[in-house]
Amino acid sequence: MTAFIILAILAIVGALGVVVARQPVHSALFLVANILSLAILYLLLSAEFLAVAQVIVYAGAIMVLFLFVVTLLTAGKEEGEPKEQLEGQRWIAGVLAVGVGIALAVLAIHHPGRAIASGLPHNFGNLHGMGLLLWGPDFLYVGAIALMLVTAAIGVLVLNRPVRRQAPRPQRRNEA
Amino acid sequence: MIPVNWVVGLAAILFAIGAIGVMVRRNPLIMFMSAEMMWNAAALAFIAFARHWHDMSGQVMAFLIVGTAAAEVGIGLAIIVTVYHRRHRLDVDEISGMKN
Repeated sequence: MTAFIILAILAIVGALGVVVARQPVHSALFLVANILSLAILYLLLSAEFLAVAQVIVYAGAIMVLFLFVVTLLTAGKEEGEPKEQLEGQRWIAGVLAVGVGIALAVLAIHHPGRAIASGLPHNFGNLHGMGLLLWGPDFLYVGAIALMLVTAAIGVLVLNRPVRRQAPRPQRRNEA
Repeated sequence: MIPVNWVVGLAAILFAIGAIGVMVRRNPLIMFMSAEMMWNAAALAFIAFARHWHDMSGQVMAFLIVGTAAAEVGIGLAIIVTVYHRRHRLDVDEISGMKN
């Protein structure tokens, strides 16, 4: 329970840091802290495979992609937050989100489900158990993820396709 | 063992913080990171319930969430970079040019 409280505080501090930080780089680093504490929490919940997948996919691939784009777009700029166009939208959104969060958390904590007496299966959450499920009855999800990733890759290629220049090259020689 | 209620409560708090980030911030990169946090909160709830019911289907769903988040980040960052190359401002209102 102590470990859970420490990890929960770390995760919440990381989450608040993402929202509060001025620079996107700081947000990304706070998000790394949040993700790593959640990965350790997955270990405590006996989801070993997902803890490792979380570290590899989130903290490895996704955060590197984020940091790459952040350094590409905001290098050397001190840009403040743009001005809000909608009047009072921030306050209404913040109050509503805090209310929803408190309500959900109170409901979750005050209504415990039934406990299960039987022990965990011996391969619960490790590579063996996940492999038996993913390559057995739940193969549909692996196929869906594969299809989704291929679609995303093709979409990125289509979005960033090189622009063809029809106009002739500017003639430097005449200007000089 | 950690009681499942507390973990689901933590997931709810993380989800709400992510929602605040999406709605309050205007930098599309930070909004995206907050959306990632909301995905993570959902995955945490799935894993907590999988542990509680001793059934690994929840962990399969969390795996699906991780894969979806990877695909989403790729396509979303591509959109952000494309919009930035056209407008040279990091403001989420610039993306409203994608209408029509």
